[in-house]
Amino acid sequence: MKFLRRFLNRLFNSATGRANEERLSEEIAEHIALQTDENLRAGLSPVEAKRQAMLKFGGVEAMKLDYRTARGLPFIENLLGDLRNAVRTISRMPALAIVIIVSLAIGIGVNTTIFSWIQMILFQPMPAVNGAANFLMVEPSSETGGYPGASWLEYRDLQTRLPALRDIVASQIVPFNVGVPGKIERTHGQLVSGNFFSALGLKPAIGRFIRPEEAERPGAEPVVVISYDYWQTRFRCAPEAVGQKLRINERDLIIIGVAPKEFQGTMVPLKFELWVPATMTPALLGGARDLEDRTSRRFSLIGMLKPGATRQQAQNEFRTAMAQLARDYPDASAGISGEILSFWEAPRGPQRLLISGLAILQGVMLLLLLAVCGNTANLMLARGSTRQREMAVRVALGAGRWRIVSLVLSENMLLALLGAGLGAAFAVWGTTALRIAPMIAAFPIFFPTKVDEFTLAFAILLGIGCGFLFSAAPAVQLARMDPQEGLRSGPNTSPRSRTRKVLMGVEVALASVVLIAAALFLQSFRSARQTAPRFRPEGVLLGAYDRSGRNPNDTSDREFAIRLLERLRSLPDVEAAAIATNVPLDLHGIPHRPFTVQGHVRTEPGQDRAVSNIVTPGYFKVMGIPVLEGSDFADMRDKATPPQAIVNEEFVRRYLNGADALGRSLQTRTQTFTIIGVVRNSVYDAFGEPAQPAVYFSYRDRPQDQGEIHLRTRSGNETALASEARANLRDLDPMLPLYDVRTLSQHIERNLYLRRIPARMFAVLGPLLLGLAAGGIYAVVSYAVARRTREIGVRLAFGATSNRVVLQIIRENLGAITWGTAIGWLLALVISLHAIPNGPVNPGVFLGVPTILLAVATLACWIPARRASRIDPMAALRHE
Amino acid sequence: MKRKQDVLQGTLALMVLKTLDVLGTLHGFGIARRIEQISGNLLAVNQGTLYPVLLKLEQEGAIASEWGSSENNRRARFYRLTREGRKRLQIETQDWEQTAAIVGRFFAVKTEDLS
Repeated sequence: MKFLRRFLNRLFNSATGRANEERLSEEIAEHIALQTDENLRAGLSPVEAKRQAMLKFGGVEAMKLDYRTARGLPFIENLLGDLRNAVRTISRMPALAIVIIVSLAIGIGVNTTIFSWIQMILFQPMPAVNGAANFLMVEPSSETGGYPGASWLEYRDLQTRLPALRDIVASQIVPFNVGVPGKIERTHGQLVSGNFFSALGLKPAIGRFIRPEEAERPGAEPVVVISYDYWQTRFRCAPEAVGQKLRINERDLIIIGVAPKEFQGTMVPLKFELWVPATMTPALLGGARDLEDRTSRRFSLIGMLKPGATRQQAQNEFRTAMAQLARDYPDASAGISGEILSFWEAPRGPQRLLISGLAILQGVMLLLLLAVCGNTANLMLARGSTRQREMAVRVALGAGRWRIVSLVLSENMLLALLGAGLGAAFAVWGTTALRIAPMIAAFPIFFPTKVDEFTLAFAILLGIGCGFLFSAAPAVQLARMDPQEGLRSGPNTSPRSRTRKVLMGVEVALASVVLIAAALFLQSFRSARQTAPRFRPEGVLLGAYDRSGRNPNDTSDREFAIRLLERLRSLPDVEAAAIATNVPLDLHGIPHRPFTVQGHVRTEPGQDRAVSNIVTPGYFKVMGIPVLEGSDFADMRDKATPPQAIVNEEFVRRYLNGADALGRSLQTRTQTFTIIGVVRNSVYDAFGEPAQPAVYFSYRDRPQDQGEIHLRTRSGNETALASEARANLRDLDPMLPLYDVRTLSQHIERNLYLRRIPARMFAVLGPLLLGLAAGGIYAVVSYAVARRTREIGVRLAFGATSNRVVLQIIRENLGAITWGTAIGWLLALVISLHAIPNGPVNPGVFLGVPTILLAVATLACWIPARRASRIDPMAALRHE
Repeated sequence: MKRKQDVLQGTLALMVLKTLDVLGTLHGFGIARRIEQISGNLLAVNQGTLYPVLLKLEQEGAIASEWGSSENNRRARFYRLTREGRKRLQIETQDWEQTAAIVGRFFAVKTEDLS
């Protein structure tokens, strides 16, 4: 209390200013007058009486200072003074200040942009949902390590059996065909449990949400909630949208409400537009038995811990519940347990992949920022030394060490915070650029990244951290200075600074780590662009269809594929046509399925797995993948031939030790196939991946209700085929849209998208960092040389050639630089070996980057050294 | 050096409070003279140090001040003890006596007493 009152009082005094000063003067005058009177009474002469009174009172000014200190808040007053001073100092060195601020801003901006991604995935996995990071994924898990999802009945059971969780929410991804025949649009939505919106704590933008009782009786409530974006684009935000009918999968659903702005579902970064009660599943998906069939595991569950409950508790309850379900329903649940996972560990979606990639990127960028800090510290140090005399005067006039440090600190902090501010602006621009970049995969992807208070705090924190980092050296140097030494004419003292050299070495080390990382990244990106995918992407058009809403069965699916292919193959420009369930190099990856193959006994636990794709005959021709042994699949209408499979070279090598594969049987969970062919390896998940075993199955044996049409053109102008392909599909079934139409090359570009962002960052930042490092070295060396003008003059006067002088200066500085490069090089090597175990070390990068760095550094030393060696010895000796 | 000043400042505050307690409302010079009379030479050197202490006490609410006129009809600042100040004086007096007693006892102990 006492402290608080005093503080407020002082704050008030600081603000009200000088009125009190007068009061003090009056009091002092009065005091001295009274004392003088007393002295007079004691018999002193008037002059002596006054003198004695003043002596007795003591130093008036010192007392006033004490008084002022007690009255106001010296800390804040000093700070304001420092700040004024800092602004003045900085405005006197605009060029240096701009270099420092901009380089810091770039470092901080890049880091903040990356952090905004990480924080989106870790802390705000669902935009518009408060406390979304508290939601956990409730995932049934199979023995093989897969996450099969939960069935509806299982969800109903778990709702009552997991007391540690409240509000378990179920949802299922569904593509919907929205509209009337001929004008069908494909839109993605979620089938949700009745508590979906209430558990997420959402408020509708207008209208209302699905009521719990609307998700009780199957097929009873034809209602739909639309996303804010959908409302905006389709209804122009008209309030009348609520109550209108939307034709979805040939059923009329009534729009009851609009979700809040930015809400895009529970599986970010996937973006959904429609939410329908899960009980509408049979009505919308052609009699799907999802609601009563326990083997149909299509739902994802999430839930939040009850207050006081722990994750471990939830995990244990979940395991127990799943064990009980496995006993009750062995057909559907045998061998299925459960795991509670954080959002970023989501088994579906790109989170897991992204987070590890982003973590590495963030690490490299933090190193870059450190290098920038080192550079700035060096520049400030060089500048600080020129200010020795100013500081010496301050100390001589009575400034404490701490005041000097705080002076330097405030200058640097101002620079750092300006840098952070500009960096945050860069980050805003960067995240917006990422937001609007198109991202279309099998599902619409939208990254709701933004710069919010979290990211802003991160930027400011980085700025403050940087400020402290690069203040430390100059502040210590100036504060330790002896004022007498400093006041004497400066340049002939302490020409060599150990701190400077160490700093230079550290900066170069950091720069070489970052540069090597950047070069490796660019190299891998470029080689990704150049390596052949081992199939022919040019001239292929892709387009997807989905019959899941059309009451599909095996016979109709097969028949549909046959008729579609017949029509497409009859087009004049089509050289070959095929249908496959998966396209290589998809952002979501290709499924890896378990199997057992005759002739291979697995020794370690688990199951043999291979990339698997289901394709029609003709697929290998379209893709340009040569069949090395055996033949292509049997014709789709062939009913006699037993089920077939085709494997790739890597499969034969890994699982059959290169033995003859043809004729062997291969077993999956449900069927047995005969291997009839071997094809060449190609790229499946990513460029530069190690060869993966793959199995292809035939549409004939495993008809699918959805597929990707692959068309190879004769003319090479594949985009011209799009409208004909669309028309053909529409003729066959007017309710089916052809969606995601793109060329195979475009598809591949999308896969590279996630890599392209960091590649571009590095392409810009690498040279920038090199330039910064060179600038830093140049500044330091030219400063050091300038301080040694006289020494150099003496050397020259005694007959040293200018070449010798240049060599000596370069040798002195290159020592620290070489050490730095070597350490950075080693560090980069260790990191690279750690990040890619057993990967090849790229000799070009590991030799080239240090060479370039050393060359640039030598040049940065040479220029000032040469200038110094050119001076006239006489002028140098007369100097000062 | 700084510590010694702190001790002096602390005791000075206590002396001010006690003076005002005994003599009632008083101006700065009066307080200084009274302390000087009682403490001998302790404050003879720098009477000025009194004023920051007065300010601190006023900010803490232990004393209050107002303008008035002094014996020779000059404007002077008069200080008086507040209720809080009285309470504080009581507490600090007790504390001081306790501390003094303990320290006194320590000084009284001689080496031979311990053997």
